[in-house]
Amino acid sequence: MKTTWPIIKRLVLYIVLTGATITMCFPLFWMISSSLKTIEETSSAGIVWIPTKPTLDAYISILHNSDFLRSYFNSVFYTTLALVGTLASIAVVAYAFSRIEWPGRNVVFFLMLSTMMIPPQALIVPQYVFFNKLGWVGTFNPLIIPGYFAGGAAMVFLLRQSMAQIPRELDESAFVDGASHIQVFWEIILPLIKAPLATVATFLFVGFWNSLLMPLMYLQTIKLYTLPLYVTTLYNINVTVQPWPTIMAAAVLTTVPLMVVFFFTQRFILQSVVITGLK
Amino acid sequence: MFDNSYFNVLIYAGAAIVFIVASSFAVAALARAIAKLSGATNRKQENTFAGYLFASPWIVGFLIFVVVPMAFSLYWSFTNYRIASATPTHWVGFANYIRLITKDDGFRASIVNTLFLTVLGLPLQMGVALFLAVLLNQKTHGERIFRMAFYLPVILGFNTAVLLCWRLMLNTGTGIINQIIRAVDYAVPPIGYITRAVIFIQELFSAFFLGISNRNFILLGKEWAAGFPAANRVPLWVQSPLWSKMSVVLLIIWGCGTMMLIFLAGLNNIPRELHEAAEVDGASDWRRFWKISFPLLTPYIFYNLVVGLIAMLQIFEPIYVLYRDNQPLVPSTISMVYYLWQATFSHFEIGYGSAISWLILIIILIVTLIQFRIQNSWVNYDLY
Repeated sequence: MKTTWPIIKRLVLYIVLTGATITMCFPLFWMISSSLKTIEETSSAGIVWIPTKPTLDAYISILHNSDFLRSYFNSVFYTTLALVGTLASIAVVAYAFSRIEWPGRNVVFFLMLSTMMIPPQALIVPQYVFFNKLGWVGTFNPLIIPGYFAGGAAMVFLLRQSMAQIPRELDESAFVDGASHIQVFWEIILPLIKAPLATVATFLFVGFWNSLLMPLMYLQTIKLYTLPLYVTTLYNINVTVQPWPTIMAAAVLTTVPLMVVFFFTQRFILQSVVITGLK
Repeated sequence: MFDNSYFNVLIYAGAAIVFIVASSFAVAALARAIAKLSGATNRKQENTFAGYLFASPWIVGFLIFVVVPMAFSLYWSFTNYRIASATPTHWVGFANYIRLITKDDGFRASIVNTLFLTVLGLPLQMGVALFLAVLLNQKTHGERIFRMAFYLPVILGFNTAVLLCWRLMLNTGTGIINQIIRAVDYAVPPIGYITRAVIFIQELFSAFFLGISNRNFILLGKEWAAGFPAANRVPLWVQSPLWSKMSVVLLIIWGCGTMMLIFLAGLNNIPRELHEAAEVDGASDWRRFWKISFPLLTPYIFYNLVVGLIAMLQIFEPIYVLYRDNQPLVPSTISMVYYLWQATFSHFEIGYGSAISWLILIIILIVTLIQFRIQNSWVNYDLY
């Protein structure tokens, strides 16, 4: 009894963990499985776990859909442009908050942290008016440009924490050798925070890639639609039989970049979530 | 396929960078001049210049995208401002706020729905997150794979593509979730009774909350009179106003990965000796969890509560994907942010929308303050 009890406990633990893993990943499995089915199978009265005759028809049809391909390009284009500028500005600002002593730093830093309490959506109304006046409604600008001003206080905070851990002596000795702040930032600090940078880049990527509300407000024509917006139009509200395999094929193609990025960066991400507690 | 839209964005992005650099230098020069006037040393002047130069992108952005818009929206919230409206804008005092609080059924519904999610969804989400964290904390083989699997929904969760898959799974008749429920109920009759009991309680609970937002409890009475659900009943996930919020709760629970990681960090911070000492004294796992782990986890529970509550106000994508084409269901599930979007942009009522934004901010502020006020009574900071 005394020896078998811990073994049983372990066994139960693994069974529960495996069960939880299957449950959590189930939607993903179902998405892939449904994308290989026929329309009849996706809405059949019995459970079709795995299609009897997997077919790639759904993928062929979605890849021949020029609207889908264009929205894919739009997503890649806008995400890349927004990601690069946002990441760069966040790193610069994090440097100011961690490596330079300047009067007012604590006040500005506190201000920045307090903006984390404001849900970004509370600003959508006045920002819409602002972008409307600028003539930016119907363009990608409102989705990209605000990020260039170090959008995302939580991300600045995360990078600042990592930069603050780097020993001071490193930049002190560089300054003695006559280096400027820009050189120290570029040649000393950035190479030392590659992992946190990758983490922030991933969070930003996921945020931009999944974003629905902003594209919904600003991208008003189907020519500019990003993936999250376009994919919802595949669900045709005027018909009763939905083309589920096609929708799921589009869904799989939409989530592939997310999964690839997550797979390569999960080691860093899972650690840093704890630092910021965000996303 | 390609036209000016892409090229234009590149030009604007370039212009934005030029603007940011120029304004940063201006702010930094100004800061240095002030430092010089106040008699700072040369080195301090240089640091002031560099500090403001590097921090300016955020400072300038904060002014342009946060302070100025908020000031304008505060002003507009007291006017009847509408984009593309024939009537001229004029001051209306507190009319928007009064209409919002006393007459607006949609806003009322969004508050009640948030309350529902807070009372039912948030505890369930935190419970599952804590449960998974405790399991992972047992130091198993393949811990990293389990952790990845539990966090993956956070990465995927709010993409509309994945939400569409949930829509397929939640279909009342042919969706996989109900098919599994039916199969299990049929195979193991006792579980069928539990399912029906859960359905009964959930529907009464939802009917009660719908009653609050509709200001009448006819539906609750009907549900009660209908009595215990029949044997073949299944949840009507995305079909009935009694279940629409539960579908969102399901999604929230699925996306508990962030909370789980935070609990896991909290569990890791608990000194091993505490558990070892208790084990020597013969305390069971269950007792050790409630007497040692749980009290020491309360700061993390508090954190998740504060952040989770704000997240509840902001649920948007699930409602858009699951209920957009089923307008009668929207009031039964609408969140505050969804309502803000719907109310403002259906008629471009900027004044009214500004009032909603400010009310949401005030509500967040009050709720957070209350939480911080009462935390002393239950949050345990002994370890820190």
